[in-house]
This record gives sequence, C-alpha cells and structure tokens, in this order.
Amino acid sequence: MSGLVLSEVRKHFGPVHAVEDVSLSVPNGTFVCMLGPSGCGKTTLLRMIAGLEEPTGGSILLDGRDITAVPTHRRELGMVFQSLALFPHLDVTGNIAYAMTIRGVGTAEKKRRVGELLEMVHMAGYGDRSVAQLSGGQRQRVAIARALAVQPKLFLLDEPLSALDAKLREAMQVELRQLQERLGITTIVVTHDQREAMTMADQVVVMGGGRIRQAASPVEIYRHPADAFVADFIGSTNLIPLAVENGTATAFGKPLPGIAAPARDGQMLSVRPEDIILAPAGEGALTGTVAFVRDLGATIETFIDIGGHRLVAASSPRDRPAVNVGDETGLSFHAGNAVVVTA
Amino acid sequence: MRRTPPKSARDYAPIVYPGIMLVVFFVIPFATMIAVSFFKRNQGAFYTPDFVLDNYARFLTAFFGGVLAFSLFLAIMVAVVCLVVGFPFTFFLVRLKRRAQILWLLSLLSVLSLSEVIIGFAWSTLLSRTAGITNLFVALGLMDRPEALLPGFGAVLTGMVYQALPYTILVLYPSLARLDWSLLEAARTMGASPVKAFFNVVVPVSRNTIVATLIMVFVFALGSYLLPQILGRPRQWTLSVLITDQAIYQSNMPFAAAMAVFLVLIALALVGLTTLIGRREAEA
Amino acid sequence: MNDFSDRKIDRRTVLGTALAAGAALAMPAVARGADRSLKVGAYGGFFKKSFDENVFPVFTKETGIKVESVGEPTGEAWLVQLEQAAKAGQAPADVSMMAQVPMLKGMESKLWTPLDMKKIPNSKNVLDRFINKDPNGDVAGIGAVAWYITLVSNTKVFPTAPTSWAAFWEPDKKDKLGLLALVSNSFLLEVTAKTFLGGTNVLDTEDGILKAFKKLAEVKPNVRLWYRDEAQFEQALKSGEIPMGQYYHDVTGIAISKGFPVRSTFPKEGGIEDSGSWAVSHASKKVDEAHEFINFMCQPKIQDLVCRKNGTAPTVKRELLDLSDKEFAAVSSSIEPIIPRYAMYQKRSDWLDQKWTELIVG
Repeated sequence: MSGLVLSEVRKHFGPVHAVEDVSLSVPNGTFVCMLGPSGCGKTTLLRMIAGLEEPTGGSILLDGRDITAVPTHRRELGMVFQSLALFPHLDVTGNIAYAMTIRGVGTAEKKRRVGELLEMVHMAGYGDRSVAQLSGGQRQRVAIARALAVQPKLFLLDEPLSALDAKLREAMQVELRQLQERLGITTIVVTHDQREAMTMADQVVVMGGGRIRQAASPVEIYRHPADAFVADFIGSTNLIPLAVENGTATAFGKPLPGIAAPARDGQMLSVRPEDIILAPAGEGALTGTVAFVRDLGATIETFIDIGGHRLVAASSPRDRPAVNVGDETGLSFHAGNAVVVTA
Repeated sequence: MRRTPPKSARDYAPIVYPGIMLVVFFVIPFATMIAVSFFKRNQGAFYTPDFVLDNYARFLTAFFGGVLAFSLFLAIMVAVVCLVVGFPFTFFLVRLKRRAQILWLLSLLSVLSLSEVIIGFAWSTLLSRTAGITNLFVALGLMDRPEALLPGFGAVLTGMVYQALPYTILVLYPSLARLDWSLLEAARTMGASPVKAFFNVVVPVSRNTIVATLIMVFVFALGSYLLPQILGRPRQWTLSVLITDQAIYQSNMPFAAAMAVFLVLIALALVGLTTLIGRREAEA
Repeated sequence: MNDFSDRKIDRRTVLGTALAAGAALAMPAVARGADRSLKVGAYGGFFKKSFDENVFPVFTKETGIKVESVGEPTGEAWLVQLEQAAKAGQAPADVSMMAQVPMLKGMESKLWTPLDMKKIPNSKNVLDRFINKDPNGDVAGIGAVAWYITLVSNTKVFPTAPTSWAAFWEPDKKDKLGLLALVSNSFLLEVTAKTFLGGTNVLDTEDGILKAFKKLAEVKPNVRLWYRDEAQFEQALKSGEIPMGQYYHDVTGIAISKGFPVRSTFPKEGGIEDSGSWAVSHASKKVDEAHEFINFMCQPKIQDLVCRKNGTAPTVKRELLDLSDKEFAAVSSSIEPIIPRYAMYQKRSDWLDQKWTELIVG
C-alpha cells in the first residue's frame, strides 16, 4: 500500500524494551499524533521511522519499499526536533536552504524556494537574520520551513511546540494543521499533550509501555477508549470499578441498568465528567457525598466521594448543580456514554 | 555581580592574588628578558647592562629568517596535524560509553606525564633501522629490509604530534562533549551523509574551539627544542634550539633573549591575526 | 703521602677536636656549623658518582673536610649559574670542575679567585699545559682531569679499525657519522686543520679558519647525527645505527668492557685532548679549604685513583704515576694529542658560532 507501514517494530536497549511489537499503517497524507506519557516509547518509535535509531526487529515500509536499513539521509524526510536544532553558524536562509545545498540545487532556484518557504511560514523578509535574533515562535517556523524545503515524503516532528507558551502553542497547532492540509504531506507528531493531539491529528496513536494501546481518530479514542490507560490518558475520566453478578453489571453494590459486560474480573466503567448527571439525593443510579466544588467559569466541577472513590461531574454554568460540600447527592449517566474497559 | 566601579582599595582585593601571580610569573620574567635583549654582549665573558640593538641586528639576516620561517611552519604543521587527528578522535571519543571514555582519557593523561626526553628517545628507537618498526614491516613482508625513518622532518613531526596530541584532545573534549548532537541528526534528516554532516555542521559549529586549539598547539610546538634535535637533522632545528644553544652553550644571553623576544612577538602577532580573522568571519 | 701533609692533618685534627669540644660545651648547636666543609661541583652523572664513591671520601678521611658534591650541567650553563650567583654574593659550589672555554670566560669576567700556589705545593706535579694562567700571570685554575675525544666505530659494521680522522671524509661513510653539534665542544676545526691543513696553527687567522670550515663542509653529507646529548649517540653507536663518529675515549672504554661491539681509535693525527680544571668562585668563603682540596687532587696517587676509577687521563706527569702501561693506554695515548685552540673560541666565539651554525644548519 502507499504510505508508511510499520510491522512488528521493536527496540530494545539492553534489558529495556523501549518499543515492543508496534504495527501501524499510516496512509499518505494523514496527520498522525503519537501520544503518551514520557518513557512510553513514542520518541524512540519516531526516531526509528527517521532512521536515527536502528530497530531491534521488525520492518518499516514506505510506499511499499522496505526502508528499515536505509540510512537517514536517503529516507527523504523532514524532521523538526524538540530542540529545533537550528544551525547556529548559518542565518535563516542558510538553515532553510541546507537540504537544497546538500542536493546541489542551483542558487536561483534555492533563492526562489527559500522565499516561498518563508512566505509559507509568514516570515518573509527574515532571510538574513541570524537564528539567535529570532523569537521562540519564529525559530519554530524556521525549523518547520527547513524541514519542508525539499518536499519530503514524511514530515516528522518530535515535541515541536513544547518550548512555546500556551497561547502561542495553540496558535501554532492550528497553523501546523492548516499547513499540513494544504501540502497534503504525511505527518507524524510526537507529543505528550492530548489537547495538541486532538487539535491536529487525523489519527491518534496512544502509546504506553512501549506498545500501541489504541490507534484511531481523536473522537473514537475519546468516545471509545480501548482500555483504562487510554481512557485515563485522553482527557479526564471517571473509572468506576465494575462487577458482574448474575449477568447484571453493578458498581458500589448498585445495579447499573443498560450496561452490558461479560463476567470478567478487573473491568471498569469509563464515564467522562461531562456525561455524569447530578440528581437529588436518593435519585439516580449511585449515591455519594459532595467533597469539593470547583468553579472554572466555563465549567463547574463537582467532586463526589463514593465508597472510597472520587468521581468528577462537569456541568455548564447554565445547569449549575444546587449542591454544597457535605451534601448527599445522587448521580446517573446514560448507558450509551459509558464504556466498559479493562485495566 | 557588582555593577558599581571599585572605589576603595578593598574593592580591588579579589584581583590582588591573580595580579601578583601575573606579575611574578609573567611580567617580571618577560620584562627581564626584554631588558637583557638590549644588553651588550661581552664576547668571551658575559654581558653588561646597556642599550644596544646589536642582538636584534644579528638576528635580522636571511639565515635566521629561514630558521624562523621553518619554526613557524613546523609549529603550524603540528597544530594542523594534531587537529586533523585529534578532532575526529575526540568526536568519536565523546560518544563512547563513560567507562571507555575515562580509560582513554587516563591513558592520554599518562602520555602527558612523559618528558620530552623520554618521548624523543622512545621515538628515535621506534624509527631506527636496528630496532624500529620497519623491522616489523619486514617480518610482515611489507618491506625488503629495515630502514631508518629518522632523522628527518617526518620523524620530528611525528614526535611533536605525539607529544601535543593529548593536549589537543583534552582541550577539544569539553567542547565536543557539550556538542548538540541533534544538529548532526538534523543535518542527516535533510539528506547529509554522516561525513558531510560532520564537515558542514560539526566543524563550523566548533569553529571557536578549533581556532583556540590550533593556537594552543601552535604556541606549544613553537617552544619545543628537544624533539627537533633528537629526531631531526640540523635543517629541522627550530629557533628554540638555537636559542637554547645561545643561552646554554654560548652563554650569549642577550642574543638568546633577543631571539626569544622576537619569537614571542611573532607568535603573538600570528595569534592576534588568527583571532581577528576568526572574528571577522563570525561577523560576516 | 708525604710527611708534610701528614703532620698538617695531625695538627688540624687535634686543633679541630679541641675546638669542637669547647664549642660543644658552650653552644652545642654551633658545634656542627664549625665542621669544615666544601661544596665541590663535578659534572653530573658518571663523573659525580665516581668522585662521590672513590675520591671525596678519601679527601674527607685525610683532611676532615666534608664534601658536599654538586652536579654540574655540561656546557656553559654552570658558568652562567656561578656568574649570576656570584653577583648576589652566593657560591653554589666553592670549587668547580670547569671546561676550558668557560674557564677562560670566567677569567675574563674575573669570576675566579686567583690561586695561591704556595698553598698548593703539589701543583709542581701537574703538566704545564694544565695550569690555567690569566694574562697577569695569576693562576685561575689547575687541571683536574683530562679526557680524549677519539674516533669511535662499531666493530660489526667496520671490521677494520680506521687509522686517520680522514675516514670521516671518505665517501663510503655517507650518512653514517655521529658528530658533536657545537663548534666549541666538537673541536672539529682543529681535527680538520691537523688532518688536512698541516696543523692547528692555521687556525690563528680568519683565513685559515675559513679554509678549515670549507674542508669541514665536505663532511656534512656523511653526518647522520649532530648530537648534543651523549646518550643519544652512544646508543646509536652500540647498535650500529650510526656506526662511526667522535666520542669520549673513557665512556667508550666502559662500553667495550660491557661487551658492546665498539672501539675507540687514537688516529695517527692524535686524539682530541680536552680537560677540566678546578676553579674557585670569588664568592666562595671557603678559600682555604678549596686550596687544600686542589692540593689533594694534585697528588699522583689520587691521580692514579681517578684514572683507574673514572677512566679519565691524568693531568700530572706520566713518570710520577703508578699506572702500568696497560692502564695508561686505557685512558690515554702516547700519540701527540690535538690540543683544542681554546683561546680562539673565547676570542671569536660569536663569529665561530655563527659560521658553524650556518655550516651545519644551512
């Protein structure tokens, strides 16, 4: 198939299994975010795709060609590093033109293309600046323009926006996504920020412990997390311990109508805070005590203790719940909004 | 850090110690040397304090010009060869495991503990016909008969590079250990082979270190006077050898001092020129 | 030992003991300071070691004067150090063994205390050419030891011994010679003059010296090593790496006795006879002890001892010595030696040095 295919890729550093049996297909033109906590193997996986690390096993195919043994410089990729890795001895033009210089592109063509790229990242006129003179966002743009200079087949970014402040980061996320859509280039971004992943990606690959936990669209991942790890990592969620007695699912000893679950140990019910509905005491499927109320302006979070567990319900200010700390409260949710996951 | 200019004597206290050291170990000896270089040489005896230019006049001849030119050429060659060998070596050294690095650095330090005399004699044996490496080549069938590889320019250069290389590596080490490896990786993702990336990223990024190393090795090599004698023919004797001859064997201190002053000035001028060019390029 | 010195020692011993005993009662700390001592400079290495082991203990035993030996660097460095120290009123050594050119230079700068020959009666034993007199006729130094620089060769490479210094000029010696690197310690101008120009007198004039330089230039292609450090050449000579050259007769003798395939030849033109003299720095406060030491060294039996233990040639007359012919031949030769033109090196020092350096470096 056309696109990037990883099959059973592994990377072991001595006794440490950084990446274990990762198989993944990325069709051309897709924007993929690899998401996971630090140490989950996502950066190692990206570096193997780039050829900067040699896989211990498995193969990597690009448009049907096995590139597992192809050295980095022949893989036709563009990469943005976490440190950006701009060359301090070259000015902005020199940095952007580097890949073209390596390929022996003519001066005139190089000049034209650098102008085009600077235009593309909204930095026209900055060509002769030294990279030390640029702001964080400008450096970011130069790094992106540099990676895209020779129209690579793969565009890889390793935590590209982590050095920017929150506001600029969000603006760049949108910009990056728009740029990718315009160019139609296969893009893989490594991030630990799930909001970033949700904003940009066609496909989110959640990794944990060196393995892929789930690879799906952002909505799918959010709505139907494959396991407790994914559910917990993507957004915030309530994980309610589930028991199945005589074919009926129960939590905290109460039956949960409408929840179908096989009779198995270690199952949990993932319910997003915004899906929990508060009810007067005595009503609703479950009953708990209000422990804390947090008013964030856009949402109001109510923390409820049930049988040693703490659940969170999020409501909009329009449906502000009439509860105080210490009150007994009932709570319920639509069965369709709850997902049974295993730990 | 204090921004106000120092006002009382006490404010100058922190610089007193380095100041005294500078005066005792540099200013006084160098000033003495300059003074002696103008003294009058009494042939057959010593010298008397005076102000004469004879010592400099004797130096300004084609003969000493040739010796000076060779000395500078040799020092530059040593610096360049040390860098060409030491830079890639250090580049690979800093990527080794920590234990291996320490082992290498320790063995390099142990070379530093060898005196110039020992290095000279060791190499004169190693390059000799009767006991040298060519015997090994003969045994391996690479050569027909053992040959003496000394005395000569190659032997002098080899000995001096051997002596200066540990310094070169120790000077390069901290800088290369701090090198941002992602620069190299970035270059590779953009299509540069490792060798190309080394030359058009690692080398230019390390330019200041390279210039500093070249200057250090150059100055170090300029002072060498034993190895050219032990491993070279008279044609390879440096100005330092002739200075030693004048000071030790001819007891012509004024002339030795004049030559030494000249050598220091030329070296300073070259170092200044190098840094100036370096700065120009950095600004360009 | 004659009666005179016997009595002298007896008297001093008695006196010294009484003095020391008295002083010890009064001020024990000073008693040690009252011991008579002398700092003697000898060439560092073999010379110093040999003197320390064989000669100085005999002197201390005979005179009660303790000797503190000081290793001297070769060349003129020691002269420079003595000179600098004397300016500050210090004497790193009271008596020093000095080579002839520095001896003359020291005379010129009035570094040496004139010796009182009445206090050195044994000086009558010493050959005239080993008494260093300054232009006023004062004696500045007395010959300590003499040594020969001879034509040495490796017996494996050259089975037949050469007979003349002219061997250096022969074309089959190309790149095979090791010669001393300095005009003032190789004495090759004298060798050239004696071998090819009818004698060293030709070096009296500048023309004559230039002639010698011209002839000497022909030897240059044959020279593999111009050495300053003896060990460097000795090693190469023993191994045959550099199979011929000029070297010290005494040191070569040691190498032969250890079985190395080397030989030392007195060529028919003579070996080069160089010598060291005892001289006293004018900054020394131990003038009496210094005279006593020099007098002691001029005794034939001490000269015998030095020749046997040190391998150097004597400075006293042959007939006074107890050396057998064989022992004498081991350190010297009956062939008339080439005597270096020391005065030439003093008078034309810089000119000779310049010409020489240009010759070998250029």
